[in-house]
Amino acid sequence: MKLIIERLSKTYPNGTQALKNVSLEISTGMFGLLGPNGAGKSSLMRTIATLQEADSGSIMLDDMNVLKEKKRVREILGYLPQEFGVYPKMTAVEMLDHFALLKGISKKNQRRELVDNILNQTNLYNVRHKKLGKFSGGMKQRFGIAQALLGDPKLIIVDEPTAGLDPAERNRFHNLLSEIGEHIIIILSTHIVEDVSDLCQEMAIIHRGEVLLKGNPLESMHGIEGKIWKTVIDKQELPEFYKKYNVISTRLFGGKVIVKVYDEEEPDEFFDNVLPELEDVYFSTVKKHDKLLSAI
Amino acid sequence: MLGSIFLFEIRYRFRRPVTYVYFVLLVLIGLLYGSAMGGAFNAEIAGILTGGGKNLANSPYNLHFIMSFLWIFYVFLVAAIMGVPVYRDFEHGTHALFFTKPISKLDYLGGRFLGSFFVALIILSGLAIGTLISSWMPYVDQEKYGPFNLYHYIKPYLISIVPFSFFCGSIFFATVSISRNQIFIYLNAIIIIILLFLAQTLFNEIDNKTIASLLDPSGNTAFTHETEYWTVFDRNSRTVPFTGTILINILIYFSISVTVLLLAYRQFSMSHIGGLSNVRGFRITPSKTIVSTVTFRTITTLSVFRDLSLRNHIRMLFSLARKEAWSIISSIVFIVIVIFGLFLLIVTLSKQGRIFGTPTFPVTYQMLEILTGNFEIFILIIIGLYAGELVWKERRFNVHLMLDAMPVPNWLAYGSKLMAMFIIIFLLMGLIMLVGLITQSVQGYFRYELWLYIRTLFGYRVIDFLLFAIIAFLVQIVVNNKFLGYFLMIILFLAPNTLLPWIGLEHKLFRFGSDVGLYYSDMNGYGHFPLGFISFKLYWSALGLLMIVASKSFWMRGAEMEWVNRMKKASQNFSKNSFILFCVALTLLLGSGGFIYYNTNILNEYTTGEELRRLQADYEKKYKKYEYAPKPKITAVNLNIELYPEKRSFSAQGTFILKNKTSLELDSIHLDINNTLDIKNVSFNKSFELLVSDEPLGYYIYKLNEPLLPSDSIELTFEVSLEKKGFSHDNFETALVYNGTFLNSFYFPKIGYQPYGELIDDDVRKEENLGPKLRMAPINDTIAVKNNFLTNDADWIDFEAIVGTSQDQIAIVPGYLQKEWRENDRRYFHYKMDSKMLNFYNVISAKFEVLRDEWKSDDGRKVNLEIYYHKGHEYNLERMMDAMKKSLTYFNDYFGPYQHHQLRILEFPRYASFAQSFANTVPFSEGIGFIANVDEEDIDYPFYVTAHEVAHQWWGHQVIGGNVQGSHFLSETMSQYAAMMVMVNEFGEDQIKKYLRHEMNEYLTKRSGERKMEMPVLLSENQSYIHYNKGSVLMYALKDYIGEERLNKALKGYIESVRFQEPPYTTANEWLRYIDQVTPDSLKETVHNLLGSIVIYENKFADVSFEERDNRFLVKLKLDAKKYQVDGFGEEHEIPLNDYIDIGIFSRKKMDGKWQDSVLYFKKHKIVSSNQEIEIWVEEEPDKAGIDPYYKLIDKKSEDNTKSF
Repeated sequence: MKLIIERLSKTYPNGTQALKNVSLEISTGMFGLLGPNGAGKSSLMRTIATLQEADSGSIMLDDMNVLKEKKRVREILGYLPQEFGVYPKMTAVEMLDHFALLKGISKKNQRRELVDNILNQTNLYNVRHKKLGKFSGGMKQRFGIAQALLGDPKLIIVDEPTAGLDPAERNRFHNLLSEIGEHIIIILSTHIVEDVSDLCQEMAIIHRGEVLLKGNPLESMHGIEGKIWKTVIDKQELPEFYKKYNVISTRLFGGKVIVKVYDEEEPDEFFDNVLPELEDVYFSTVKKHDKLLSAI
Repeated sequence: MLGSIFLFEIRYRFRRPVTYVYFVLLVLIGLLYGSAMGGAFNAEIAGILTGGGKNLANSPYNLHFIMSFLWIFYVFLVAAIMGVPVYRDFEHGTHALFFTKPISKLDYLGGRFLGSFFVALIILSGLAIGTLISSWMPYVDQEKYGPFNLYHYIKPYLISIVPFSFFCGSIFFATVSISRNQIFIYLNAIIIIILLFLAQTLFNEIDNKTIASLLDPSGNTAFTHETEYWTVFDRNSRTVPFTGTILINILIYFSISVTVLLLAYRQFSMSHIGGLSNVRGFRITPSKTIVSTVTFRTITTLSVFRDLSLRNHIRMLFSLARKEAWSIISSIVFIVIVIFGLFLLIVTLSKQGRIFGTPTFPVTYQMLEILTGNFEIFILIIIGLYAGELVWKERRFNVHLMLDAMPVPNWLAYGSKLMAMFIIIFLLMGLIMLVGLITQSVQGYFRYELWLYIRTLFGYRVIDFLLFAIIAFLVQIVVNNKFLGYFLMIILFLAPNTLLPWIGLEHKLFRFGSDVGLYYSDMNGYGHFPLGFISFKLYWSALGLLMIVASKSFWMRGAEMEWVNRMKKASQNFSKNSFILFCVALTLLLGSGGFIYYNTNILNEYTTGEELRRLQADYEKKYKKYEYAPKPKITAVNLNIELYPEKRSFSAQGTFILKNKTSLELDSIHLDINNTLDIKNVSFNKSFELLVSDEPLGYYIYKLNEPLLPSDSIELTFEVSLEKKGFSHDNFETALVYNGTFLNSFYFPKIGYQPYGELIDDDVRKEENLGPKLRMAPINDTIAVKNNFLTNDADWIDFEAIVGTSQDQIAIVPGYLQKEWRENDRRYFHYKMDSKMLNFYNVISAKFEVLRDEWKSDDGRKVNLEIYYHKGHEYNLERMMDAMKKSLTYFNDYFGPYQHHQLRILEFPRYASFAQSFANTVPFSEGIGFIANVDEEDIDYPFYVTAHEVAHQWWGHQVIGGNVQGSHFLSETMSQYAAMMVMVNEFGEDQIKKYLRHEMNEYLTKRSGERKMEMPVLLSENQSYIHYNKGSVLMYALKDYIGEERLNKALKGYIESVRFQEPPYTTANEWLRYIDQVTPDSLKETVHNLLGSIVIYENKFADVSFEERDNRFLVKLKLDAKKYQVDGFGEEHEIPLNDYIDIGIFSRKKMDGKWQDSVLYFKKHKIVSSNQEIEIWVEEEPDKAGIDPYYKLIDKKSEDNTKSF
């Protein structure tokens, strides 16, 4: 199975260009879409999830034209929107059963088995008879994941699935996805780098509607090996550093600032070369792009 | 701070386009109604809204009326604007931002409330602005406008719109802010609507008017109550007073509003959780985090079978629909609407169908009418409301994106919701049926007609609701704004019967949901109505199907709402199946539309209101000149009628003998023949030529080759027929029906010009270039009195007829049955009248049961009495029979002998609700007496109507006035008097008092609708509120002044001198001369005042007191009495009192276990000054005093005629 996105563009009526000539090739397994808020991740995912029209370009899932054959896509789709609500008066079991029915699982006992299973997997079994209105943010998020996984989908699109999950929950979620993600396509959008580095064989960095980088996270990291430099400085030195070096990220640590700089060569002797993390790939790519833009 | 929140709210509102949409819509509505009142469409529509005649389009009354009459829009708009300001913050989660700011509760709530109320008031002013603009439009008739006065626009706004909006706004704002639940908007709106309806229902009963006025929060009922007796003069010159029930109403609802707001202020908590659960002291327990319980589980992917086949989707349609339906049924709003709706129903069921306050038996058709009629609005509200809720449900809970990505086809998502609505509608129909059956059972009526219930509710009535649901869905889907959708639903609901016909789209094919009517009668069942009704419903259902296709295509799915994308998606959604459905629906639409057109426009003639007017005007313009041209009169009628009730047709051959009663030679004869008839033959027994044949107008002129000499006669023979084919646009043609045919003499040729169809309304006449018209010739017109007021082509005739009908029916015409036989499976009746009668007869045929009896006069004359009735309608036959006997006795004694030896009552279907007297024959509608359920205390109207009609055998059929003013007095008022006298003898004074109170109220209410000029009763010009309602009151007062014996003596003398007279005919003036002869001089002025002018009294006490002396009581009364002379437009001028008026003193006693008034003193006093003082000695302690306590004189405020000590 292969999802091929070609030259997909979308401009909203208010003038925002959400997608610019996006082209991607996505195979089975987990695919991470990394990008800051407002980068166009959700627009792209909604378009793949048949909920939004594109201005131009195409999306093909094998022989399936996603933009036209919405019905066929929906038959194999599992989708978790970034923001969603629940019927507060219903219990998790009731609503999932309803969803399962909508997904075409017509046999009642099969539905029950399936729902119980998914509740177990998302660790909601104990609260299955609780009203959804009383769910916490994390529980609600897991419920959302549960409905997306329901019914054996072949294409799963999860938009910011880890938002609102605590670290343990996130961990669990990663496990869940990685186990089912071998033979199907899972597209996951996130602004959290670890989500991608932990899970995905393939990823794309998307920023301001454009795909800046696509590939394997490991390879991407290899690509910048030896070019990431780190040092620890005082806060007040920061403005000067920004002027002087190509700072890609800063992080407070113990009252001091850890500065990371991207450079082909050692920028100064007090910098240590470090092994790049995916985060560095992300920041350096975004940074480069913004610089290019401002240069124009 | 409050100020800035106030401004924030206003700015927020003014940034939203929907605010402007509401405002513009209201301006347009104001403009529309204003224009309609100003005559922009035509004078008839203007007349309906303004009252017509001298009523000004911008009279303060009319401006107030139009602004308060559109209350439904206010409830709705105020709900949309004031229900949400605080709720919005919770919905968007911005409440946390506000509550953490240093603002007080007062700032926050006050600012939000005042800001949104301010915006609501601005939007609501749109109506007044629209109305104002309309008055400057070039297309309105400036003559209908008085001088511009801004105050007349502002005052209704201030005393009607502002208080009502404040009330609605307060409760919406308060309840929603506290509960943080929008449900309260609906609940409150429902309660307001129910209060309004309840008030309107109660208002129909005289005793409940005040309570009804106070109950209705919109103030409309109070407005109606305070102005119900206003004449044209009042309406044009007075502004609606800010006093009385209007003021009390406003004060009540203002205090309620303030209380509610204060409570809300106290309860409102600026906390994060809030909501009702907090108010009640519950706490939401925060859910436990599950960090510690995380365990890894192995994933087992279950292979599942997903059935996405059409078959499974169809199965899902039902199960989803059931779920949705259940979610509606279990919602609080639904339950509240249904419970309150039922409550209102039960109240109305106990009040409706009453005539003179007397109820009817709960026959099934009446149950159905009341139930569907009164519950309809609730069903429509439920449909409108839940269409919005269902369409918006997923988006409201923000689950739509998940669902939209699921493999559920649009038709299933949409269809399941629509079907849920259909299930609800069917359940409500079932509920109605249940209520009907229970009501019948509770009232001890066990003639259940289940099939009639089922057929009517689930067959006929349900269709409109289903269609309304479809259109409600479509509106919600297309408009994509819930409240705007509701708003448009209201407009769509009103448009088919107001806007569309106004702009000329009169044909029902253009008016969504309309039909040609469906009327039930016990006698005739649904008769011929279903064909037309069903054709129309099929047609609209086809349109509904198209709407379903559209709704399915435009169904909201996904994240984009812009029209470009929606159109794109809609065209994608328009699948092959949609196309097939579209074609089927279109074929059905065109097919049924064609069938309807064939029926309404080809088989039958379709005439628009304008065309009909034009025809009436043309007839007058062309032929009015012949009205008084010399012509022969009919002296004998001989008919041979074949009725085919099952085909709704008849054919008739007739011979009229025409006699030249003039002194001139007549060289031509003019005939007016009903233009719906097929004329097969018209000929004379002397040689003639057809000179003019004007078929559209039904006017024909025949030239006689030899003139008809004075006193000579000529024989006219004709053959006409009529067959009702299919159904017509106005299908309410009930002369020819399957069971209950009712034809009258107007179906047969008339001699000469017939003025009865002339246009009456002067504004309409002006539009047709006709001058103003007198309703009737003046009483002293010497030419007009040469004809009687019923027919201008005959005086008295000989009458004979043979009528054939189907073999299971009985046919009846005036006269006595000579022979009855069967021939060719048909039944024939030969009737012949043996004495003189008017050229005014009826032909009735139906399946009848007959009750026979007889009456004998003192001198041994026998009269056969017969009642022809519908099987099952036996309830009141004895009362009617009794009434015939008692009436014959009284009239025979006091008015002279009855001219026939038989009297028959014939029941006819309830398509019309009257009884009418023909010679020895009284057709009597099944709706006005046959099913009355008369209790001891009630007015026995079957008895009364019978007595009235029997009286017409004297007053109308013996005494007939000339065709001038006052002749209705001689027939109708005198029959009223005669009937009242029989009633008094039978039931006593109390029932008459009750009856008169009703008549007085009717008179005072209806005179305010006068289009031309109110006339004194002696000069009445076919004004029913005068010759019936006021006539009753005045004749009873007259009897009281000069005494029954003396009055009857005068009447007997009068009848003796005028009965069966040849022209010139008698007038009311001649009648008055006989009355004068028996009236004492001291009373002459009073009597002439009563009958010959319009006089209104305002009788009350300034002060009443008494003192006890030696076990006797001296009562001191100080009057405050006024007498007004009123002109024809209602302007009142005080005139000095010089009348004898009843003064009564009453005590309160327990008699027969009940507290009752007992009369201590009752006597007429001569009152000559307004503040006259009177002293009276009575023997017991008085409780109250009364001036004209029994309302014998016309008095607008009769409740202050008595005063307690």
